[in-house]
Amino acid sequence: MAHRKKNRNVGIIGIGQTKHSSHREDVNQPEMIHEAVSAALTDANLTMKDIDCIVHGNMELFEMVHQPDLWHTLGTGAYGKECIRITTGGTVGMTIACASDNLVASGLYDIVMAVGFEKLQEGHTTGGITNMADPLWFRNLQTGALTGSKAYELISEFGEERAKRASMMYRIIMDKHAGLNQYAHRSFGLEFEQLDDLIKSSPKLVGDLKLIEMCSQSDGACAVIFACEKKTKELSRHPVWIRDHITVHKEEVFQIFGYHKDYPVLQSHRFAADQLYKRNNIDKPLEYFDVFEMYDPASWWAVDWLRDFFQLRGDEHIMLVEEKEIMIDGKMPINPSGGVIGSNPIGATALIRVAEAALQIRGDAGKHQIPKPVKHALASGFGGTMWTVLMMLEKELNWQEADNGGILGNQR
Amino acid sequence: MAEYWGINVEDIFNSMKDRFRPEGATDVTASFGYDIREEGKWKVSVFHGTLAAVEKIDNLSGCVATMVTDGETFVGVNTGTVDATNAFMGGKVKVEGDMGAFGRTGRMFRKYVPPRKEMSTRDYLVDMFGTVESRFKKDAARDLDFIITIEVSGDAGGVWSVIIKNQSCTVVNDRVDNPTVTLEVADKDWVDLTLGKTDAQTLLAAGRGSVRGDIAIAMKWGEIFEKYVDPMGGGEPEQELLVLKKTISVGQKFSTGPIMGKFLNGLKAKKILANKCPKCGRMQLPAREICADCRVRVTDFVEVGPKGQVRYMEYVYYASPDPLTGETRETPYGMVNILLDGCTGNDTFAHLIRRDQIDLIKNGRDDTPGTRVRPVWNEKRVGSIFDIQHFEIDE
Repeated sequence: MAHRKKNRNVGIIGIGQTKHSSHREDVNQPEMIHEAVSAALTDANLTMKDIDCIVHGNMELFEMVHQPDLWHTLGTGAYGKECIRITTGGTVGMTIACASDNLVASGLYDIVMAVGFEKLQEGHTTGGITNMADPLWFRNLQTGALTGSKAYELISEFGEERAKRASMMYRIIMDKHAGLNQYAHRSFGLEFEQLDDLIKSSPKLVGDLKLIEMCSQSDGACAVIFACEKKTKELSRHPVWIRDHITVHKEEVFQIFGYHKDYPVLQSHRFAADQLYKRNNIDKPLEYFDVFEMYDPASWWAVDWLRDFFQLRGDEHIMLVEEKEIMIDGKMPINPSGGVIGSNPIGATALIRVAEAALQIRGDAGKHQIPKPVKHALASGFGGTMWTVLMMLEKELNWQEADNGGILGNQR
Repeated sequence: MAEYWGINVEDIFNSMKDRFRPEGATDVTASFGYDIREEGKWKVSVFHGTLAAVEKIDNLSGCVATMVTDGETFVGVNTGTVDATNAFMGGKVKVEGDMGAFGRTGRMFRKYVPPRKEMSTRDYLVDMFGTVESRFKKDAARDLDFIITIEVSGDAGGVWSVIIKNQSCTVVNDRVDNPTVTLEVADKDWVDLTLGKTDAQTLLAAGRGSVRGDIAIAMKWGEIFEKYVDPMGGGEPEQELLVLKKTISVGQKFSTGPIMGKFLNGLKAKKILANKCPKCGRMQLPAREICADCRVRVTDFVEVGPKGQVRYMEYVYYASPDPLTGETRETPYGMVNILLDGCTGNDTFAHLIRRDQIDLIKNGRDDTPGTRVRPVWNEKRVGSIFDIQHFEIDE
């Protein structure tokens, strides 16, 4: 497999993000990005002189700025440096992390900074997403990223009451997590007692997808600094290592609504997870990982995707939510940061998943630090018509031996 | 009636006549209800764009929508102290009835601005000493035991003593025995000092005020009390942030290419042409150059439908503005995924359903068929998605 050819190891040595908010009229785009870049440099105890290359990314059409990376040079510090712009829709924050990993691993650069941002208040998010669809057909029908299909599927499989309660339970848990995160955009102070009330009172957007269950539209930026193994060991007292990542997608058209048992739909999340775990010899992802920072655009999707990402069966994923095992002190903490439902500056959103997963491994997440040791973290990105990016992060640089052991073990 | 930030619920309703904006109420004829917990119910009626009545009333029947909330949230939302979206999302504000209609009330009234009462120096002194106990920081006063007496001269003046003992704070409007330190200051200077308009060094250097006793204790004031918040808001008015507002409208044209072109040409002739993968046999709708499953070129076309059954309908309550026209679609609308006759599995075709039929549609599943539908063709067809106006139930 391609990842076996990784030339050298890569570590995360610096993390910075802004407070995510719907009110950043006090700064323009480069100024907002500069906040995250400065924070990451401070965190790594570096200056711009130490950075070899900048990988810049956000959604293509949201602010209607052509080549924003040029304007943003003032904020990213890319003047006189290599700067690469990447835009892959909702996954972009994760894609710039993958690209940074690849650029460092290849040996081209020793230290690379990934910068993701969005100022969603400066455009129209749902209009922007709709604009990405095929102009000859689906653009005329769809309404951005809003869909009630996941709600329909969960209700069909698990019954209306159980499914709706699971989705709202997930939502309230994310609100509680966001309340612990000083950078989170939204935390309403929701309580579990409000669960049934919210199911009734929150306005519907599409089908059974309700307003409260959908992610926010935020302004914010995130910067993460990646370095080669040698530099990482020199510069960082608490590095986080990139173990592996995978990107999976299929086609632009949604051909998934036949709902016939003889024609199952291969979900990109499940496929990505299967491939990634297989090549890393992980049999029980739910046991292996200590935290999962998931790109959760809406609570219905989130509940459903837990099954795919952890290779679960039947209603195991629903039970994880119902028994609050996804809470910060549960068996598998999901998004201690509050997730995408809590903050969603889209071009930064997936990079924040990597940043937050890394903070958990470092033990630097502050009030939303998981109250048990974190050694293995998983982060996901999502976008478009079912694009998946999955990344594995490690505290110790020891999986190669484990891998070899596994391979030798199999041969014996 | 309870006050929130110095304003009560009735202030909001009583001022509605003055705050009414006819330009925000064009064509509106409706009554809106307000059910404010423990405060009462109000009915606000708009008739042909004018404010007809604001009544406190027991019965809210006939209202197109009713807002249900508590007094604090209501006052907060109307004065901008509480974020309306957050209150709504968090369940503190509920709207019963027609949500869309209620949304218009936001444009009908100017924001409530409380009448500005001038605060006299005396008002300030009373408020400043009246809030000392509530501003006391217990944890910052460990092992501290002292009394500060402040002798305020001038017409508005008086004597106050602040007693700190066992991590508690008591204020008396009088002298007490054996103060640790006594401050002498003029009434206006104490107000300016507390508001942060001047500082102690400046006053003392100018000979305005004196300190008798342990001056080090007096310096601790800032550490053990929270900063006084000016009820008048005070300070400089917030600077207006400049933003550039733009609406972009651009003409666009998109080439179809031969495969999509053939598919769209079919619509002109009232034919729905799927292109069929030579390997897996799936029908692609709309047509595409390759099959993403098999990664082979797909060139064969097969006519399917035009009737079929609904497998899944998106019941859309919120429509994004159409990025091509800037117009928002009428809601609710139904986007249907139809399994046209001749198609199997996930070979569905996406289009719209007649709006007045959205509540009659049943989704199909496995061997249970969904509602049968047929296309409604436009008289004039140009080779676009809207050569079919929409689908309708095929009875």
